[in-house]
Amino acid sequence: MTPLNILLVLSAGLFFAGLFGVAARRTILMQLISLEIMLSGPALGFVAVGAYHGSVEGTGMFLMVLGLAAAEVALGLAIYLHMRRATGGDSDLAHRLRG
Amino acid sequence: MLAYFLLLVPLPPLGGFLLLALDPYRLERRAVMAVALAAGIAPLVLFLPVALGYFAGSIGDTIAPAFTLNFGQFEVALAMQLDALSAIAALTVTVVASCVMIYAADYMASARVADLRRFFALMNLFLAGMLSVVMAADSIVFFLGWELMGLCSFFLISYNMNSPRAFAAGRKAFVMTRIADAALLAGLLLLFLEATSVRIADLIPAGLAAPEQRAVVIAVLLLVGALGKSAQLPFQTWLPTAMAGPTPVSALLHSATMVAAGAILLIRFAPLIEAHPGVAAATAIAGVATAVFGALCAVAQTDIKRLLAYSSISQIGFMLLAVGMGAPGVAMAHFVVHALFKSLLFMSAGVLSHASGGTTEIRRLRGSAYAAPISFATYVVGAAALAGFPILSAGWWSKEAVLGAAVMAGPFGQFLWLVALGSAALTGVYAYRPVWSALRSPVEPLPAIKENWLAVGPLIFLATASVLGSFLVGPIVRTMGGTVPHAGLGVEVMGALAAIAGLIGSVVVSFSPVWSARIKRARRLRAGMQMDAIYYAFLVRPYRRVVHKLSGRNARKDTSHEAETDRTDGGMGDPVGTATVNLGLWLARVVTAPFVPDRFDLVTMRSTREVRRAGVWARRLQTGRLRTYVMAIAFGLGVLVILGWGMTWG
Repeated sequence: MTPLNILLVLSAGLFFAGLFGVAARRTILMQLISLEIMLSGPALGFVAVGAYHGSVEGTGMFLMVLGLAAAEVALGLAIYLHMRRATGGDSDLAHRLRG
Repeated sequence: MLAYFLLLVPLPPLGGFLLLALDPYRLERRAVMAVALAAGIAPLVLFLPVALGYFAGSIGDTIAPAFTLNFGQFEVALAMQLDALSAIAALTVTVVASCVMIYAADYMASARVADLRRFFALMNLFLAGMLSVVMAADSIVFFLGWELMGLCSFFLISYNMNSPRAFAAGRKAFVMTRIADAALLAGLLLLFLEATSVRIADLIPAGLAAPEQRAVVIAVLLLVGALGKSAQLPFQTWLPTAMAGPTPVSALLHSATMVAAGAILLIRFAPLIEAHPGVAAATAIAGVATAVFGALCAVAQTDIKRLLAYSSISQIGFMLLAVGMGAPGVAMAHFVVHALFKSLLFMSAGVLSHASGGTTEIRRLRGSAYAAPISFATYVVGAAALAGFPILSAGWWSKEAVLGAAVMAGPFGQFLWLVALGSAALTGVYAYRPVWSALRSPVEPLPAIKENWLAVGPLIFLATASVLGSFLVGPIVRTMGGTVPHAGLGVEVMGALAAIAGLIGSVVVSFSPVWSARIKRARRLRAGMQMDAIYYAFLVRPYRRVVHKLSGRNARKDTSHEAETDRTDGGMGDPVGTATVNLGLWLARVVTAPFVPDRFDLVTMRSTREVRRAGVWARRLQTGRLRTYVMAIAFGLGVLVILGWGMTWG
């Protein structure tokens, strides 16, 4: 196992852990946290591969993922606040597509 | 540029027809009038600059192609053309039609809106048809317009839907012209086979180059077509009864333009007629015979519209005489002049009969001259033109040209000239009769009617035109490429004497008790020599017998003339007509009946049921739960990854 492979396995593990979280949890807040974990997995992969090839694109990609995650969390939390008032923060109860 | 302008000319009336006939919404009376008038006058506005440019010489002969189709050696090219004939005829048609439309707006003012729409829609359709006949550069557009006119004529004669008589008249007109139209169609198709093209410019040389026998057949077929449309002997019976239609219809269709279309046809194909002396002689004889026949019958009429109808066929007889004598240009001049004064006569007669209480009997017109003085004055101008009052009226100049052409065509022509001269004198006798009747003091004073400017304006214009038309005769003949015949002073003096003799004769028959009683008794002549009854006895009744026999009905039933002409249901067992119905019923029984619980229908119905069930099942997938969707996406992603991995194995 080269260090790169260890890092890639770690990033895949993060991704699947996040995916499991999104699928298994019913609390919207926990699902949002799991989404962040899902995003961090590939981000780690970008950084690792960038460092392996000695190029700066990996780090740049990571910064973009970071910005994307920040925007997504900002929107997601706003929606969460609204849905919490309607459903009490349970995503299964929010299945009618109505505010 | 100009070419496309020509194609635009018949479009406004066609658009007016479509709007008035097919518009599903209610139209206000004003809107109907506005559409009808705009569509009826637009062709004049569009065509006037073109025609003026043509006469000034700044525009030459033009062909405006609309659509061309080639297959094999045949070429079908639809087009409009501008040449001497189409310029003169289309200008005449548009001018007369505009006048009649304006007049009709006043005349039909009391009709219901629905009737008004029907009337103006058909008038506009008719106008489009007539314009396509005179401007056609190919036999297809020509024939299409020709048939369109026949159809509109049928509908407009039967305009008064409550009158069985009007229906019978419309049916008679339709059947009579149809017989002739079949001949025309045959002639045009034979010409097409000779020329392998439908362009009239190609048809005429091809017809001239055709073998003798075929060329004669073609010329005779064309002549028969023209005789039928123009109500010449032996097809004349439909025109007098066609007066059942409203006055504007008579003014436009059954005097000035449509019935003159036969003359237009003969002028258009004049080279084919002239190429065979026998056919030319037949044309001239038919023309002269109709001229005399029409004039004789007109003298005996007691109804002003029927009088004018007989005068129409008589005048068109003069046009045919000119074509037969090899002077189509002269025929054209007479066409123009006749269109102007005959529409004038019909329209002013309409006002006069309104003024005298809605009757069209000449006797009852007494005193209408004082009730409607302007219309009476215009009627006098028109009657003078019809009778050919020497020098002052346009009718004299054009008729003189026709007579001159006859005199200069040899001994045969001189014989015809004598007969035609007699007809011209008779024209005078009948033309002034309504004038004298209208001048008499009324039995009880008629209330003076208000002469609406919509009605009187066109009358004054047409009256002026039928006086000033004298100056048009020469230019028209020269534009058509002929020369105005001058047969010497003696012939012209004879023509003038005939007209004056006619004037005197009309005074005699109107005021001499002996002669007016004689006219009252001339019942045979009044009924058009009872040609209707003769045709009925020798053609219609045997035909009906055959039909009844074939259809297995009792032939004895219901054979009296009145019973059949007045019948409206038309429920006659017609073996040809019922054959198609029977065929349809048989097909329905044999082909579709076995499938009545239709298997195809059942299959489609079952499949719709299945689709619905599938939809119900598929709806279960839509839980609305986020977790379910995430699982589905993850599962799909996994499948894709495995697939992608498997792809890289090779």
